[in-house]
Amino acid sequence: MELQDRPQAGAGAAAGSPDGAAVALAGVDITFHLADGGRYQAVKGIDLSVSPGEFVSIVGPTGCGKSTLLNAAAGLLAPSAGRVGIFGKPLVGLNRRAGYLFQQDALMPWKTALDNVKVALEPMGVPEREAAQRAREWLARVGLSAFVDRYPHMLSGGQRKRVSLAQMLIRNPEIILMDEPFGPLDAQTRQIMGNLLLDLWSRDRKALMFVTHDLEEAIALSDRVVVMSAGPAAGIVADYRVALPRPRDIADIRLEKAFHEIHRDIWSSLRVEVQKAYAMGEGRELVGGDAP
Amino acid sequence: MKRLKLLCLQILVMIVFLALWHVVTTTSLFGDVKTSQFFFSTPLAVIARTVKELSGPAIYWHLGITLTETVLAFVIGSAAGILFGFAFARNALLSAVFDPYIKAANALPRVVLAPIFALWFGLGIWSKVALGFTLVFFIVFFNVYQGVREVSPTILANARMLGMNERQLFRHVYWPSALTWMFSSLHTSVGFALVGAVVGEYLGSSAGLGYKIHEAESVFDVTGVFAGMVILTIFVIAIDALVTLVERRLLVWRPAQSATTTAT
Repeated sequence: MELQDRPQAGAGAAAGSPDGAAVALAGVDITFHLADGGRYQAVKGIDLSVSPGEFVSIVGPTGCGKSTLLNAAAGLLAPSAGRVGIFGKPLVGLNRRAGYLFQQDALMPWKTALDNVKVALEPMGVPEREAAQRAREWLARVGLSAFVDRYPHMLSGGQRKRVSLAQMLIRNPEIILMDEPFGPLDAQTRQIMGNLLLDLWSRDRKALMFVTHDLEEAIALSDRVVVMSAGPAAGIVADYRVALPRPRDIADIRLEKAFHEIHRDIWSSLRVEVQKAYAMGEGRELVGGDAP
Repeated sequence: MKRLKLLCLQILVMIVFLALWHVVTTTSLFGDVKTSQFFFSTPLAVIARTVKELSGPAIYWHLGITLTETVLAFVIGSAAGILFGFAFARNALLSAVFDPYIKAANALPRVVLAPIFALWFGLGIWSKVALGFTLVFFIVFFNVYQGVREVSPTILANARMLGMNERQLFRHVYWPSALTWMFSSLHTSVGFALVGAVVGEYLGSSAGLGYKIHEAESVFDVTGVFAGMVILTIFVIAIDALVTLVERRLLVWRPAQSATTTAT
């Protein structure tokens, strides 16, 4: 609970919005109103900015509000205090300049892979034939040319993620938000998906916020790794720069010495939070309350 | 080989049943033959009557009437069910206010409405359509309501992040989801439309399969009643097969369901 002793959020807000940041969270608090009338403060006093072209990972113990933060940047959640700025402008409603890759399956099960990708262009007013053409190109780019007519239930978990990736990227969003996108996949598929993501991202580097609980994945992919404290009222405890050269292969990079040094540094601060969350989690089970 | 064996056993059940029926009604083992035949007819007589009925043109006119009533009840009932299902699912106040009344109306056994409908709509097809409507409406209504309410929040959030407006959300998310739920109850709702039609005809009409059965019953023509039932059964199986065909076509995107007992 030491975070509650921090100076009030408003103080940091003025400093929290550097010019030109793709995403700037300044003094953001997010409180949920629970069904039983109680409140749960998920995150508190968050100052975080992501520059255009920067790949930032957010790591932290389970239930620390990483996804909540991403939802605030997406405009799916309005912060109870603080500001969210997108390219210098305050965010109102949904973030139209962002694409979001969800942890759970978000494809429309009643549409084929092609239709799922194609439909993403409809709100932009792209004509039907051009949309179909571009959707095919994107499915080819994620390696699914042979699966365009498959329905989501006919695809593997990794293939569904590829379709989701194509669906999000075809709109060419300026900000990419990813919430443990590879969480449900097996280890090998995660590596393949990680390399695919890096490959696609490096073509026209967009601002990317990547939430994960896997520290190795975070380091291998990112320019910066942000460590969050255990919830409730989670905050940012550390912010590390990953100065590994690009292009990277996320399987090979894990073997390098520099990688291990960075890993050791970040783990030293993450471990404290994970242990804290673990200790609290046991207590919380007794009370019976939990995070929404 | 296994399927062949199953088929043989299934046919065997029918043969045993018919043989038993035949023995009971044509021998004096279980009492007077005349009495047994009055109550149970005989399988051969029923089969002969069924064939005779099906080879004449009159029965198809009756079937046509029943089919018309069924289709009208299904179409009108579904349309109203979809409309109200959407309205209630998207409007919390509306659904909260009407909730007890909907439940009460659904709890009422609809057959008791048949005399009222006969009074209101006459003895023609519309009183039967009205009865079928009350049965179909609630099934479709509840399914569409559920379908709209239970759209996965992730799919919805994703669609919003893709920039969809309300109209596009309706077209790509709510509508397909509601239809899925509706189609999953297609067999039930078509079945109930038919029940409405036949029961309505039975209680008062001048045409249709229900009328045929009622007519036979009123002159103690048991053979005619059984023949009518056989024809009705064939009719229902044919409609059900059609529905299965439609369902397969419409729900291709769904993983194979274990609910169907027929081999895929």
